[in-house]
Amino acid sequence: MFNKHKAVLLMLALTLMLLLSACQQAATATTEPVPTEDVVISIPTTPPVIEEPTEAPTEEPTAEPTVEPFIFGMVLVGPKNDHGWSQAHYEAGQYIEENIPGAKMIVFESLNSADKPEATLEGVVSDMVSQGATLIFTTSDEFEEDTTTVAANRPDIIFINASGDDTWDQRPNLAVKPPANLGNVMGRMEDMKAIAGCAAALTTETGSIGYLGPLINDETRRLTASAYLGARYCYDNYREETPGELKFEVSWIGFWFNIPGFTLDPTEVANQLFDGGTDVLISGIDTTEALDVAGQRAEKEEAVLAIPYDYEGACDKAPEVCLGVPFFNWGPSYLKIAQSIKDGTWEQSFEWLGPDWADMTNPDTSHVGWVNGPALTDDVKATLDTFISGLADGSINVWTGPINLQDGTEYIADGVEAPDPLIWYLPQLLEGMTGSSK
Amino acid sequence: MRVELQDIQKIFDQVRANDGISLVLEPGRIYGLLGENGAGKSTLMKILSGYQQPTNGTIRLDGQDTSFSSPSDALCRGIGMLYQDPLDFPALPAVENYQLAYQDNLLLDLKSGAEHLRAYGQRFGFAIDPHAYIDTLTLGERQQAELIRLLSLGAEVLILDEPTTGISAEQKEVLFNTMRHLAHDEQKIIILVSHKLEEVQQLCDEVVVLRQGKLMGTRSMPSPTSELVRLMFGGEIARAQKQLFESGRCVLKMEHVTVRSEDLTIQDISLTIREGEVLGLAGLEGSGQQVLLQACAGLLPSSAGKILLDDATVKGKHSGFYWIARLAPGVFAIVIVWLLIRLFGGHIAGLDFAGGAAISLLISGLIWLIGTILVAWTDQSPYHAFQQRGGAYVPAGRLEEGLIPGLTISEHMALAAPTHTFVVDWEQIRSQTVDRIQRYNIVGQPETLVDGLSGGNQQRAMIAFLNQPLRLLLLEHPTRGLDVTSTNWIWELFQERRREGTAIIFTSADLDELLEQSDRIAVFSGGVMSRILNAGETSVDELGHLIGGQEL
Amino acid sequence: MTDQIIRRIWPIAPISLALALITLLMIVVGANPLTVYQALFDGSFGGREQSLSTLAFWVPLLLCSTGLLVTFTAGLWNIGVEGQMIAGSLGASAVALMVAKPNPSIPGWVILPLAIVVAMLSGALWAALAAILKTRGRIHEIFGGVALNNLAAIATIYLISGPWQPPEGGSLRGTVPFPTQALFPLMGTSRFSPLSLILALVALVLVALALRGTFWGLKLKAQGKNLRSAFLLGVPSEREAINAMMVCGALAGLAGAVRVLSWFDSLRQSISGGIGFLAILVVLLAGTRPLWTLLIGLFFSALLNGGTFVHSRVQLHSSLSGLIQGTLVLFVLLLGDYTRIFRRKKTVMEAISDHE
Repeated sequence: MFNKHKAVLLMLALTLMLLLSACQQAATATTEPVPTEDVVISIPTTPPVIEEPTEAPTEEPTAEPTVEPFIFGMVLVGPKNDHGWSQAHYEAGQYIEENIPGAKMIVFESLNSADKPEATLEGVVSDMVSQGATLIFTTSDEFEEDTTTVAANRPDIIFINASGDDTWDQRPNLAVKPPANLGNVMGRMEDMKAIAGCAAALTTETGSIGYLGPLINDETRRLTASAYLGARYCYDNYREETPGELKFEVSWIGFWFNIPGFTLDPTEVANQLFDGGTDVLISGIDTTEALDVAGQRAEKEEAVLAIPYDYEGACDKAPEVCLGVPFFNWGPSYLKIAQSIKDGTWEQSFEWLGPDWADMTNPDTSHVGWVNGPALTDDVKATLDTFISGLADGSINVWTGPINLQDGTEYIADGVEAPDPLIWYLPQLLEGMTGSSK
Repeated sequence: MRVELQDIQKIFDQVRANDGISLVLEPGRIYGLLGENGAGKSTLMKILSGYQQPTNGTIRLDGQDTSFSSPSDALCRGIGMLYQDPLDFPALPAVENYQLAYQDNLLLDLKSGAEHLRAYGQRFGFAIDPHAYIDTLTLGERQQAELIRLLSLGAEVLILDEPTTGISAEQKEVLFNTMRHLAHDEQKIIILVSHKLEEVQQLCDEVVVLRQGKLMGTRSMPSPTSELVRLMFGGEIARAQKQLFESGRCVLKMEHVTVRSEDLTIQDISLTIREGEVLGLAGLEGSGQQVLLQACAGLLPSSAGKILLDDATVKGKHSGFYWIARLAPGVFAIVIVWLLIRLFGGHIAGLDFAGGAAISLLISGLIWLIGTILVAWTDQSPYHAFQQRGGAYVPAGRLEEGLIPGLTISEHMALAAPTHTFVVDWEQIRSQTVDRIQRYNIVGQPETLVDGLSGGNQQRAMIAFLNQPLRLLLLEHPTRGLDVTSTNWIWELFQERRREGTAIIFTSADLDELLEQSDRIAVFSGGVMSRILNAGETSVDELGHLIGGQEL
Repeated sequence: MTDQIIRRIWPIAPISLALALITLLMIVVGANPLTVYQALFDGSFGGREQSLSTLAFWVPLLLCSTGLLVTFTAGLWNIGVEGQMIAGSLGASAVALMVAKPNPSIPGWVILPLAIVVAMLSGALWAALAAILKTRGRIHEIFGGVALNNLAAIATIYLISGPWQPPEGGSLRGTVPFPTQALFPLMGTSRFSPLSLILALVALVLVALALRGTFWGLKLKAQGKNLRSAFLLGVPSEREAINAMMVCGALAGLAGAVRVLSWFDSLRQSISGGIGFLAILVVLLAGTRPLWTLLIGLFFSALLNGGTFVHSRVQLHSSLSGLIQGTLVLFVLLLGDYTRIFRRKKTVMEAISDHE
């Protein structure tokens, strides 16, 4: 199916070219008149000419062949319209297309063994390269190892893996050198998850928060733990009457999104969590089942709320039960990388990028963010804002000790702020959370 | 209704199955259609009943040119055919089967259907319970039900294809009386397709004889047998003369044998057969003869008693590997017990109880699997042991049990050969096959698929595949559906075998054949075997009574 | 005889019908079929890399189809070929992870054959299980096969998320990459190993010869056409059923080894990639003829490899190849057997009235 936008653009470009050639013909036909007059005459007969300045950007590629094309590949683990992780990346790609003239994205959706058993990252990359791609974003932890292998085989293409740690100078296995053409980007989502946890803790009536987790690894453990730490902080510090001890239950489905037959069904897991007494459910998976289930239950007059994840517009699916969403905004970081490659100044780097505390929803500056949802009452909003400003000015750090691991061993000593590697490589869930760590 | 067949021709791949046959069939008469296998009887009747279209020629009903698009079309115009195996639905009661004919009715009117069945039954002296399931009825009863169905649909012409095969003497009598009544009182046309001369002579008013696709002539009855045989074969053929035998060593001995099959149990059978002896088994289909043969062949296990072939029981080989598969649960149990003990005494090597149990289950599963594979590789089934010791079993269903449709005659030869090479020596097999084809008078090439052979040739092929020499030959209905020449031919081959010392047990529905070919006869009735009769001292009458379950 | 020629090239019929239908569908949704087919071609044979990738995908498919030639000849519906492939890849992975990884000094010419043998053994045993369930447990091989496929998939997930989990944590993606000495020698940067293709072709030739010329092949053929008659003619049917299944399982196991040791470099979540089921389709289309199995397998491999290219270039969903596959199944079932279609009327008549 042809993209509608493309078709419209094509039509516009065609009409413009027709108009231009018409003008040229007119210009050559009249042998030696004053050229300005000719233009003046053409104005009333062809009104679109007035719009020409606004059409300029679209006209550029056809009219000016000097803009050299810049083609990059975007490999997504899920569908590009998942209202979650993959859509956030897809829109970052569009952001590059908008901001770099001549930039063109090649997308490959749903690269995972369940949806596309015959496709491999290697095959996808080779297709993209044969179409002229010089930069390829592999936007999942799933692709981390394969990206390293493929990158080593293709030194002239630059690979950016989102959520990987191969190029971090604080990774445990420093002896393994990453290929020089590999970079890593990750959003510093921890504080946003803490805000999500806080919002949940401020609104729960039953004192029981649920967390719908994907699979279990370093990344998901630290994000789940961050949500818990934020929840615990707000529950202990801001709630006037505390209904009892805070319960924080984590259920893992087994993958980033639902794959029938391979994962648990997230809809079912969400329902189980609600049935088990949870009234606020935080999502850690790429798709919006947690919010969908909450919406359905709210229609049956149940007092439940949910917090989706990943994508700024995720609340749309069931706004009335949405407390807000912690989201990624990959646009600015990806644009920076694309621009530097275009300019020839790219250097290998590991980026773990945080929010623009001044304006978390600024699409050009904030790498991660939190937007309030329609279900948030004004009272809670005010308290939440206090918490956020505390995070922003550094007076609150939820990753401050004492923090114990789930098995009871001390992880961060009393009063110590956890250093980055200890957060990134969290080996277990924390004491006070229920759910498996491995 | 008057039926005229004019110059009917049917050509299959250059074979003229019917070659210009013209006939006039008048109402109120019973016609016999005679001819040996492949003479074109079936083809002619298929054409008349709408299953096949003639290549040339016309069918006229009451003077009007007609062609039938299908059997049901023919039935609509009054021509019905009764098959050897009635075309019914075994899993339905008789009345529902009957009602299936009336497809136009949306609702099944079972009550009136049952009435119909009863009314017709009374008229002809048939006794069919309308609510009995078809598969509980005898072949004769199924035939009767089918006959009622055809008549109720308005059949004016009834074609009966070998109707007396497999039905009892009483049923045959009822059937024949009905036919006479239908023809002579109700002015219907009856066509009896048969190769049994006596039946044709008993029933028919007129006989039509075919040979090699051509009409050889029609004769009004009564007509001398020799005349009919001359028309059928172009010469008179005498039945094979029975050879006397001298009893030799004991080949098969059964002592108080009980065998349970799915729907029948035969109990306490004792008999002895010597070299060169022929034992005939009589009885209605499914009375226990087949069970006995299969038990002898090792295809059915006997639950009591002994079956000795040359003084040794017929049993398969069990390999020594059986104990490996047996070991598995033991290993599992031991490991579990060990784990249970350790469970209360602390951890072992990082394995918790569940993990240990899983691993021991896995290991014992693997032992069981490998053991079972080894057993399957080395075991020999009782039947194959029976074959190896010189036994052979020729089942009745040729393409179901005896031959492999889709395989050539040579391929069958290669399979049936007593010794095999890893790479098949097709040259040698082919020459052997050519040899056997000639010797057994099979019309076909080594490369002919067995399903392309005619029935008689298939039967001869099955016998051609038997090895030399044999100790015991078990035959189910060896000549069913064959004409006299083929039957004689085959029995000559068997007689040759018995001269070589092979003992033969065979079943047959043809009492004459049993009396002629056997030395002794045993009669089965409902799973019970009669005393063993001396063929020379018994009669059709006595056999008939025994078949019906009465001792004289 | 034209009849013979038609029969010989019959497998093309369902394929071309399916392609025609898909082309129509593309026109309906507004895509240019030419562009799509061009992309399909470019993605499968457009360049060295694409061609090698198509070949790499073809090898396990070829191995599975070769195995299925044996079981189909023996009249067994070995749906479990998928599970046998997984069992093979588990066996190969076990060698790579438990033998090669802790002992980097063992050279590749020891490790790789070991991995292959273990993989073939695992596949064969897994297949024997289905066969024994059939012969001794009276469970039809289709049901047994489906159950064992699921069991094999569950075992993979258990191993990936349990004992063979990578140290950095539990993604369901797969194990750590295997040491290179355990992998097939690859051609350049592609995932294609000429050695694996040679093995597959040798297997196909051997199987074709065995089915055609040996007594074993004749027994399988007999058994496949009429089990009862074959038994009565002296074929030990249980043994031959187990043997046929085990040969197929061994080849499927080898295919599994090729998947983990060349197409991937580690054990993945759905390692079989549906190749087993695809192979069943290939063999059905080919009507158990070895040469057609070869060609149709290559066609499917190209189709699936090109499918990803279509997706990234034309933005037509890459399930296009799945769609073609689906319509193919339909057409194969509709037109599958040439004889059945053109002889149907006659055979029905004969079946009803053959009472001579």
